[in-house]
Amino acid sequence: MIIEALEVVFLFSTAVIIAYLVRHYVFTLTVLRRTSKARSNVAVDAKYEPTVSILIPARDEEQVIGRLLQRMTELTYPNDKLQIITINDASSDSTGRIADEYAHRYAFIEVLHRGFGNGGKGKAAAMNSGFERSTGEIVLCFDADYYPQRDIVEKLVKEFVDPAVGAVQGRPVVLNEAQNVVTRLVTLERIGGYRVDQEARDNLGLIPQFGGTVGGFRRSVLEKLGGFDESMLTEDTDLTFQVYLAGFKVRYVGDAECYEEAVDNWKAYWRQRHRWARGHMQVCFKHALNVLRSKKLNIKKKIDGLLLLHVYFMPVLTLVSFFSGVSLILSQSSQLVNAVWFFVPVSFYSVVGNFAPFFEISIGAYLDGRTRIQWLIPLLLFSYLYNILICTKAFLDLFAAKMLRKSQSDWAKTRHLGNGNGYIVN
Amino acid sequence: MKFKLSHLVLGLFLETIVLCLITSFRFINIESTATLLIFNLLFLSLTFHLNGALYIKLGMLALGNITGLFWYFVLYYFATAGVAFFGEPFNVFYAISYPFLNFMWIVAFWSLSLTFFPKLKSTAAEVNP
Repeated sequence: MIIEALEVVFLFSTAVIIAYLVRHYVFTLTVLRRTSKARSNVAVDAKYEPTVSILIPARDEEQVIGRLLQRMTELTYPNDKLQIITINDASSDSTGRIADEYAHRYAFIEVLHRGFGNGGKGKAAAMNSGFERSTGEIVLCFDADYYPQRDIVEKLVKEFVDPAVGAVQGRPVVLNEAQNVVTRLVTLERIGGYRVDQEARDNLGLIPQFGGTVGGFRRSVLEKLGGFDESMLTEDTDLTFQVYLAGFKVRYVGDAECYEEAVDNWKAYWRQRHRWARGHMQVCFKHALNVLRSKKLNIKKKIDGLLLLHVYFMPVLTLVSFFSGVSLILSQSSQLVNAVWFFVPVSFYSVVGNFAPFFEISIGAYLDGRTRIQWLIPLLLFSYLYNILICTKAFLDLFAAKMLRKSQSDWAKTRHLGNGNGYIVN
Repeated sequence: MKFKLSHLVLGLFLETIVLCLITSFRFINIESTATLLIFNLLFLSLTFHLNGALYIKLGMLALGNITGLFWYFVLYYFATAGVAFFGEPFNVFYAISYPFLNFMWIVAFWSLSLTFFPKLKSTAAEVNP
């Protein structure tokens, strides 16, 4: 009886792993085929220049906030149509002072100070207060450690010509890649996730994900959805699904690049991924049934939506697959188990970031014109093993929080030390 | 980047011959054959689209198959030595770890082989690489 149950668990988990691998193989092929053809852009109306509000939530970001605000003054979008709102969310360092200095010098830059009383309640809460203050037809968001291209606003905003577009997402590119092996591995994950994964989902008419930064919303859509859900740890993923469930879509704009400061040590990597994993699982519990029942999503989007929602459960599932497989082999189980066991190692190179297999990452790196970074792909095995621990811990924490009815929202933020500053060419 | 259908068709044709040859080797077990099959299908369907001369792609594909076969023999002799030295418990360890060890060379070879293809123009324009 136990053996049969183990066999079912093993075969099911391995089948799910293989389904994800096939999905990413299709994504990789799609991007290759698409890159061969000319990219079909939205016909840009030269006169389409809506008013834009840019929200920059910042908590203790004194090392990087000046860099971003300086960049905001260099954007090519007309200043009279821009409103930059820095949300200083109960910072205990000089973030607020630096932002104030820019606000005094530039009329289109504003600072919203949230004190220790009402601030510090998470990124979503900070974003909501910034959104209340904003007036633009389009609302874009940038994290404080980001450094966008000068013409990024034009590139992102042009997609809103299509009234069905509710949100857009640009591409984060790691700024401090050369810093150490951790930043290089994060770069590989980002390449797989954005150059191939997001691009393919956009090309195939599936569900590209809004990543919470380097992107934005149509004001009317965000108002209709009631702003950011403050109970969510990953309010960006939550909003992605809310946009689709409301009948709008998210467009991914791969050439709208924004440089980010990646985590540079394993401890920071753990903290960041743990928050992503826990938040993503939270969104999964909130929206999985809504996605299944929705009449506004076609079958293709429903399947992709469900796979996207469950992606952070995959490291946990591969762990289950591994241990059930080992138990069955030790107990001299059936030939079928031995045959399927063969496919389990494929997953060892498959749970990176958005469950990106090695071939997806390497093709993405190639399309980006990268050569030497390809040598590091075998090392992704270590980040996979790390991700198993992170996602399993996140799952257990979420489970415990549900049982104890503990609040999920806080600033589990990544500390930015300005390590990317040295890589910027002025 | 142009889509190279001719490269893909010729690659597929040669691929079929290579796979027939591999499966005809009686001394190769089914798992190793399947590993080579996965490698060949992935390499053919994904890298033959990329820029670069056909002879480089075919050369890399052939080298990949030779590496796979060599890796299989290394593993085979490793297993033989392991059983002789540690006895029967080694078989249990080997049964569990074999698929992982068997698959390992693909990723390493893949990452190295892609560095031989001509470089596309980098997209990161405003920051140092």
